[in-house]
This record gives sequence, C-alpha cells and structure tokens, in this order.
Amino acid sequence: MKRTPISFLSSALRVFDLSIGEMLWSRRTIFMALVVAGPVLIAAITRGVASLGPVMQVNGTRIAGATIFGLMIWVFYLRFTVPVLGVFYGTSLIADEVDDKTITYLFTRPVPRGAVLFGKYLAYLVCTIFVVLPSVVLVYLLVVPIGGTLAQSFVPLLTDLGLLALGLAVYGALFAFIGAEMKRPLLTGLMFVIGWEPAAMLFPGYLRRFTVAYYLQALVPHAMPQDSATSLIQAMFRQAPPIGASLAWLFVFWLGFLYLAARAVERREYVLEQ
Amino acid sequence: MPIHDQSYRRYRGTREAHSSAWTVIAIAGIKAMIRRRVFIGLILVAWIPFFVRAVQIYTTTNFPQTASLLAVTPETFRNFLDQQASFVFFVTIWAGAGLIANDRRAHALQIYLSKPLTRVDYIAGKLAILAAFLLLVTWLPGLLLLLVQIILSGSFAFARQNPFLFPAVTLFSFLQVMVASFAMLALSSLSNSSRFVGILYAGIVLFTDAMFNVLRVITGGTRLSWISFPANLAQIGDRIFRMEPRYETPWQVSLVATIGLIVIAISVLERRVRGVEVVT
Repeated sequence: MKRTPISFLSSALRVFDLSIGEMLWSRRTIFMALVVAGPVLIAAITRGVASLGPVMQVNGTRIAGATIFGLMIWVFYLRFTVPVLGVFYGTSLIADEVDDKTITYLFTRPVPRGAVLFGKYLAYLVCTIFVVLPSVVLVYLLVVPIGGTLAQSFVPLLTDLGLLALGLAVYGALFAFIGAEMKRPLLTGLMFVIGWEPAAMLFPGYLRRFTVAYYLQALVPHAMPQDSATSLIQAMFRQAPPIGASLAWLFVFWLGFLYLAARAVERREYVLEQ
Repeated sequence: MPIHDQSYRRYRGTREAHSSAWTVIAIAGIKAMIRRRVFIGLILVAWIPFFVRAVQIYTTTNFPQTASLLAVTPETFRNFLDQQASFVFFVTIWAGAGLIANDRRAHALQIYLSKPLTRVDYIAGKLAILAAFLLLVTWLPGLLLLLVQIILSGSFAFARQNPFLFPAVTLFSFLQVMVASFAMLALSSLSNSSRFVGILYAGIVLFTDAMFNVLRVITGGTRLSWISFPANLAQIGDRIFRMEPRYETPWQVSLVATIGLIVIAISVLERRVRGVEVVT
C-alpha cells in the first residue's frame, strides 16, 4: 500500500508539538523568565517608590510613568531581551540537536528536514512571545499609572507588543539561519547583536540598512532614550525609515532568513562528534 | 596465554614537582585554542586598536602640530583598555565557555581528578588558558603601546612624567582578566553545554548593564552603577589611572562588588568541580 506523504505544514506542526513542551520546561525558560523578571522587579520598585511621593525627578522635572515605560521598552526589551533571546533560542534550534546527537532521530522520520526547523522555530516563537509579552504588560500596569492613566498609553502598548513580537520573529529567523549554517553560531550571533548592529547604527548612510534594529526602531512609539554616548550619537544620525517600508523590510528579512534556514537544514550534512 | 609474571614494572621516569601539574592542562588547552584559525583571526582583530593607537603615537611624535588633537596622555592608555573590553567579552565566551562544560559533558572531570592532580591544579590550569588569551589582548598590547611611545618619541620623558602607567596598565589588565576568567569558569562549571554558558555570561553582562542604564534615567544619577559589572570595572579603572571617576558610586563600592563576584565564582567552582558526585 502506498503511503501518502505528510505535508510540510502538518510535519512542522508535529515537530512543534514535540518541541514546545521541551522548550517550555527547560532551563532556558528559567533563564528567559529571569531576564524578563528584571524589568518587572524594577517596575514594582519604581511604583513602590512613586507611591511614597514625587521623588522621581530629573533636573527638577517629574518623570511620568509613560516615559519610564518607553525607556524600559527601549533599553530592556528592544536592545536587550529581543536580540538576546533571538540569539539564544534561534542558534539553538538545530545546534542543540547536533550537540545532543539526537538530530539523526528527527532526520530519519518521514518529514521534510525544513519542516523540522520550521516546527522548532514556531515553538520558539510561541514560547518567547508567551513569556516576554506578559512581562511587558505587567511593566505597563505597574509603571504607566504613575502620573498618568492607562488609557492614554494603551495604543502605544499595543504597538509595543506588536513590534516586540515582530522583533522576536525576525531575530529568531535570522539566528535560526546562522545556527543552521555556521559552526559557531552563538558567537556569530552575539557579534551581530552587540558588535555589528550598534556599530552600524552609529554611522550615517546606508550601513544601518543592513541591520534589523534600524527597521525595528522605526516602529517604536516612544522617544529614543539618550542614556549613553552611543545613544546620543545614534539619536544625532537617526533617520527613521517610513513605517510601511520598515514593516516591508522586516517581512522580507523574516521570510528570507526562514527560507534560507530551512534550505540550509535541507542541504547541510551534520557531522556528529564521536 | 597464561600470565606467569603478575608483578609490575616500577615507574622509572622522573616525577614532576606537584606544583607544576596545572601547567600540563594550561599548555594543552592553549595549544588546542591556537590550532583554531578563526580564533587566531579574532585575536588579530583584537590587535587592530593597538595599531591604530601606535599610528596615533607616531603622528603626534613626528608631527607636533597634531599634538593638540591627538595628544598622547595617560587617558589614551585608559581609553585603549576600555576599547579592549569588547574583545575581552568575545574572547572570554569563545575560549572560556567550554573549558569546564565540555569536560563535564564528556565526563572527563573524574578522569582528570583521578590523576595526580588536585582540584586547585585543574582550576588553575583552566584559568591559565583563558587568562593567557585575555592578557594577550589587554596587558600585552597595553605595555607594548607604552614601549612604542618611548621608542617613537626617543625619550623617557612621558614615562617619567607618568610613572604610574606601567603598574596601572598591569593592575587594571589583570583585574579585568581575573573577573572575566573567574566568572566564566564558574558559569562553565554549572552546565554541560558551552552554548548555554556563553549565553549566560553574555546575559549577565548585558542584563546588569541594561538594569543600570534604566535606573540611571529613572533616578537621574549614577549612584547605582555598582549593579553593572562593566560599570564597576570602568569605575575601578578610572581610579587606577588616577582619573575622575565616571560614576557617582564610590570606587570602594565598585571594588567590593567586583571582589564579591570573584568570591562567588570561587565558591561555585569549589562546589562544582568535584571528582565524585555525592548524591544525598
């Protein structure tokens, strides 16, 4: 009897089903929970201090909760959490299976190799989105009521949630490709996030267009904080592309890197260390 | 075939002094790293700032009209070591993440410690591997830069005016290297996956810095810089180079936080590097 081949999508969903449980109950999730707990803790302390009196002032001006929330979105989530989680999970999707020598078991199943990566990528996306976004909402609920109302900042919150989810998707796809293609994916990923992106953003011209951060930062509804010399220079040369163009480029990056990652997994021969 | 002689031959070689046992691990580890061409590429890239600074020194000594713009001061050496911090970060992750984690993964720790080798020897050997490469991108170029200044200017005047520079470069480089090495070794002993260790190290460094940057804006000051490990090193570095500290935190607090980190790392190593897993 001839067996009908399983479609790409249903194969990916099978892998997703297998991977989501592993990902959610792993030590990585503990790391991620700690990372997203930091901003919540600071938000709680800030709220506690603010309830004692108007002590949060810079140069005699009281800082509104919405400003602090915007700052936390920039510094914690956009510059740190999203790229770092992208590197961490994205590069591990295939590399972990290679390290554990379990990739053979996945590749010997009657599913396309690309579907293995796609299923794992979906699991990453669900896992990170379900941990990061609730943390953002908690920070919003704790911080924004300081000197303001929740209703005023609700639309920016939705924009923030959307752009963070988009950031996780694009960075995840990029680092999934790096993880599938390169031998030392973590270091390459970190060099991209910590070395290349901040450096390229400092220069005027076209260089910054070869980063994800350039397009992602254009979507942020909050003013860029000038907390360091690097941020000051970045703000000086900042040329935000139109929102439509940013979304289009991010979409192209997302699809492009996901396709390249799947192709790399299809073609590459993974040699397991003996 | 029956075995008639059940005795054994005595060891006729010479016994190395026990204190040098760690060097075996260190030399083997350094040789293994040197064989990786991409790693050597990273080390070479880490030397680019040295050559840029050397050109700066050459320009100021040969074209005095540029001295107002490119003058070589003690701050130049401080800034140079500041710049090297990013290379310290990458070299630490590359060379350090797998030092103990890979041994744990291969269950090699028990084999190591069944040899005439103590835990201290093992840790010292592993520490020496990482420290050697980190000193190669901090201390060595720092000292060479000082030497280049003396040679190109043809005078000891700068060195005489700033006699603290040699000890300052040495002290700060060693502090930078020790903090990175101990922190990475401790993290490496906590896991079997070098990639997890790498991301943990990066996460701690970047996360503490992000926390400080947020708190800096919220509080409108830099009194909480002690929560950031890079900021602590920068603060102590400013003090060592006799410069105005960049943050409001007293440098003693930064020093205590840094020493605390090393103590925690040693304590983790003491608990995790054991020949036998005791299950209670």
